[in-house]
Amino acid sequence: MSKKKSNLTRRGFLKRAAVLAAAPTIVPATALGLGGSVPPSERIILGGIGIGNRGSHDLRWMLPDKDVQFVATCDPQKSRAEAVKNLIDTRYGNKDCKIYRSTPEFLAERTDIDAVLVTTGDRWHALASIMAMRAGKDVYSEKPSAMTVAEGRAVVETAKRYRRIYQTGTQRLSEGNFTFCNEMLRLGRLGEVHTVRAHIAPWDAAEMRHDWLPAQPLPPKDEVDWDAWLGPCPWRPYNAAYCRGGWRGFYDFHTSCIGEWGAHTFASCQVAIGAEKTAAVEYQYVPNESGDGMVTKFANGIKMILQRTGWRGSCGVKYEGTEGWVAAADGYSQPDVSNPAMLDDFKKLVGDYMARTQRPMSHVRDFLDCVKSRHQAVADPEVMHYSMTTVHVANICMWLKRDLKYDPAKEKFVNDPQADRFLSRAMREPWII
Amino acid sequence: MFKQRITLILLATALLSGAAISHGQTVVPASKQDELIAVLKSADATRKAKSDACRLLSFIATKKAVPALALLLADEELNHVARYALEPIADSAVDDALRDALGKLKGRPLVGVIGSIGVRGDTQAVKPMAKMLKSSDAMVAQAAARALGNIGDAAAAKALSGALSGSAGDTKLAVCEGLFRCAEGLVAKGQNRQAVVIYDELLKVKAPHQVRAGALRGAILAGEEHGLALMLESLKSKDYILFSAAVQASLELPGAEVTQALCEALGKLPADNQILVLGTLAKRGDPSAMRAIFAAAAKGDKAVRIAAIKAMPPIADSSAVGSLVELMNDSDAEIAKAAQDNLAALPGKKADDAVMAMLQSGETDWQLKALDLIERRRMTNVAGALLKATRDNDESVRTAGIRMLGGLAGAVKFSVLVELLLEAKSPAEIRAAERALSATCTREAKPSAGKVTIRRAVYRGVDGGGSADVTNKVAKMVEGGAFSIEASNANFGDAAPGIVKQLEVEFTANGITQVKTVREGQTVELLVGATPEAFIDELCSAQAKAPRRQKLALLRVLRVAQGPKAFEAVRAATKNADAEISSEAVSVLCGWPSAEALADVLKLTKTATDRKVKILALRGAIRLIPLQEGSVEKKLAGFKEVLPLIQRDEEKRLLLGSLATVPTSEALAMAMSYLDYAATKNEACFAAVAISEKIVGQKPAEVREALQKVMNATDNRDVTRRARATLNKARKAAGR
Repeated sequence: MSKKKSNLTRRGFLKRAAVLAAAPTIVPATALGLGGSVPPSERIILGGIGIGNRGSHDLRWMLPDKDVQFVATCDPQKSRAEAVKNLIDTRYGNKDCKIYRSTPEFLAERTDIDAVLVTTGDRWHALASIMAMRAGKDVYSEKPSAMTVAEGRAVVETAKRYRRIYQTGTQRLSEGNFTFCNEMLRLGRLGEVHTVRAHIAPWDAAEMRHDWLPAQPLPPKDEVDWDAWLGPCPWRPYNAAYCRGGWRGFYDFHTSCIGEWGAHTFASCQVAIGAEKTAAVEYQYVPNESGDGMVTKFANGIKMILQRTGWRGSCGVKYEGTEGWVAAADGYSQPDVSNPAMLDDFKKLVGDYMARTQRPMSHVRDFLDCVKSRHQAVADPEVMHYSMTTVHVANICMWLKRDLKYDPAKEKFVNDPQADRFLSRAMREPWII
Repeated sequence: MFKQRITLILLATALLSGAAISHGQTVVPASKQDELIAVLKSADATRKAKSDACRLLSFIATKKAVPALALLLADEELNHVARYALEPIADSAVDDALRDALGKLKGRPLVGVIGSIGVRGDTQAVKPMAKMLKSSDAMVAQAAARALGNIGDAAAAKALSGALSGSAGDTKLAVCEGLFRCAEGLVAKGQNRQAVVIYDELLKVKAPHQVRAGALRGAILAGEEHGLALMLESLKSKDYILFSAAVQASLELPGAEVTQALCEALGKLPADNQILVLGTLAKRGDPSAMRAIFAAAAKGDKAVRIAAIKAMPPIADSSAVGSLVELMNDSDAEIAKAAQDNLAALPGKKADDAVMAMLQSGETDWQLKALDLIERRRMTNVAGALLKATRDNDESVRTAGIRMLGGLAGAVKFSVLVELLLEAKSPAEIRAAERALSATCTREAKPSAGKVTIRRAVYRGVDGGGSADVTNKVAKMVEGGAFSIEASNANFGDAAPGIVKQLEVEFTANGITQVKTVREGQTVELLVGATPEAFIDELCSAQAKAPRRQKLALLRVLRVAQGPKAFEAVRAATKNADAEISSEAVSVLCGWPSAEALADVLKLTKTATDRKVKILALRGAIRLIPLQEGSVEKKLAGFKEVLPLIQRDEEKRLLLGSLATVPTSEALAMAMSYLDYAATKNEACFAAVAISEKIVGQKPAEVREALQKVMNATDNRDVTRRARATLNKARKAAGR
């Protein structure tokens, strides 16, 4: 690439192009020698992998940001890819959004894309993120972002290796009510915090399904690329229900009712108690189907209790200290507090947090800002990995039906080779990290 | 033979289609290994059976299972599940088997085996896998490159290094990945020098941006003293990728010399690059950067200046105060606002002192900025200065001062706020004083149990299910002195097993009736806030001497304060000779929050001649009727009393919203009478369903008739769902 071109910004290029042509197209970042490092004044070129219902929500949060241009989507399911194309083309008033069916081909071909939104099913989150980061993309991945401890570790290492920005979709780390609760704890307003409570999904179970749905005729590869859909998971016969979201609850594809909301609430709790770069060390088995009431303990002595009921909304957290408690969940107009006077400082605390960390109260915007500033996002790979580690180990505790001790530094169980076997799963070829 | 086959099939069925593969069991006992191996060997076992056997073996298999699993590696369908079981077995027999398979397989099975060797880190496999780097099958070459990187010994690194120049495209990227993994492994072992050799090699190679940037980061971090020099050099790079990689890497390098290097580079960079450095300086939090940050904030590109201003609070150094105060006076409004916003967030006493100096400056603009900052910084011990502000010559300063005194708990005595109202010179000041007094009444209201009467308490499933009338239980708890009651099965038994429950309590405290509902696990507080009597006395005394506008404001504050004395004062004011005052008092009376006003309000519904007052009274009556003490019949009588007076759709809807508080056949009939009118249909449906849910046990026939009509009339999904559920109960109740 010539030096002359690399000195030209995309914005400048677009201005010139506008003079030359009525409808200038997006200038690839790499064409200007800027790929992989979007300067603060530039637009972020975005692509998507596996965008379905949830991904469309994320996309709708991203699209209004004027410094984002979505250009292509990749999905082994044709119908989903076309739905995204329709959404994008309608928004931009053109037909430019490109469809790809193969993730490796998509990533290899679209060197112009700066960042990707990964909103596949859980089984693909880590793999797609790793592949994208290896290809030089920054990544916003939906949660739960890893199926095993080993996958999570690989995401962390890949992000560091290629200095990629990564954000996992635990958006409550960028919401006022939850931030207020975290700040109350951080500033010592709750006294000595001894217990935090994390909401787990009130449906499904910790025990997973291992059966196969009845085999149905395999659709043409052009409609559903079943091999790619399965990705790194063990093969099983096609059934359309999986592709409609019926993969939830299966061991191969899902992280149980604990991972469903624990991916959010464990991350919130761990960030609040300063345990975002570690995982719980003790897990007490509870003889029920969900893990409700499981007491986990961190090395700093704080207990985190998995709690299914007692919330007025979803994805709730509660922090209890010697001088009071605070709680937040989706649906709470303001945090629940042990003393109403605590709320007097709501704006101040959230505002101070934003000034101190330079983070907005928008998870998506935080990611986009970080793509430009090259500072890791609030839900960075390690926050994701360690909170998901607590999810995984809690699941393993339920599957083994006994108490467990885990060493977050070694990323192994304490003298427990049987439990260690759950820390990774062999990946199906060729979908090997 | 046949018998043996049947036995195996039965075995597979028992092991795999029973508990082991359904909900409830992920793991089987180690003693099942032989049976699972037998399934693998069986010619009759299905793919599903063998897959399940492999999965279960992955948790319990030993060396004994290796031969049977190894046999499956060549099977395209079962290669993966065989590796699934093999990878976790801690025995070198697995490595031998995988290595042995390397020479026999092709295509995807070979890719899988290579991947598993990489996971296990088998150094003996380096030699055969090194040859595969040149495989014509790109998938194989790439898998070998990544696996060699995992093994990461000198031989693996050498093989990868040798393959780098001859590879292209995705294979080249895989070789780079392998080399990165080798270098990281070396750093982990403390062999940084050898790692830097690899990173340098990656830096020189013609590769995509992420490889170059990653290599630079690695070389800086592993390079120790040479790393810093490399970072300094890279900060001068015209290549934005290398520049930003160096800046990013600096975050991982501690030390004042790194901060200094970033500061020195700052002024010589293009705007985008400066913004990147400023953000990094903020993250580093090193106060030695402040001088460079001030310089960047003072002049130049606006985006850079704002980035510099934003970098100040994270560093939290008090030296930023002077700069921010100066910038608040900048001719560019955006810069001035950014400075003010960030001064609000800058911690420390020096910032507080600066704000107080602004307030005492005597200049209106600065005073208003100071008042804003006092509020945003939540500064306390500023009552004296705020009081002074309330006497300022400028109305906006006076108003802001009054407003802020009301927001600071306990800053001044209540009487001072009353005086501020009495002395207010403008409508804005009167409004501010009124709000300050109201806020203080609410905030200072002490939770008081007072005289608590439990009228009704129900513990029930949130979405139906069982329920229990726990009125007596709650009343006894209150008699025993408990005013905080937890909604729990421990207190009230499990009325709806498996369903989240809620506790609904209707109670009267200090003459005010309230209904509070909490979810299971939460606590309901049977307390009401009572404004201190002394406050109410001061408000009443002030009434006598207040000018007219202030009198009106005081009446509204009395409504917030509540209590018998406040009520009597308002009541008396309804007879005031001044029509404006009496009119406001009537308005306040109609909006009174507790049932003590009901008799007067009901009277007004009939006697008022002014249409506006009549409507206010009617609305007040509908709202207060359910709050009064007494039986359901008494409340129903109240509704019947006002029913003939209701003319407008607004009040009809209000009535329908209250009818569920009197769950009777008559109330249901009343609600149904509004079903046929478009303006009231929705509310009528809601009311009918809510009433029906409460009386379905006693009046199933009436409920059935009503809800069938509701189902036909409504298109609201929630109403339909609730109506259907209640209809089912009605049918069951009728069947009994």
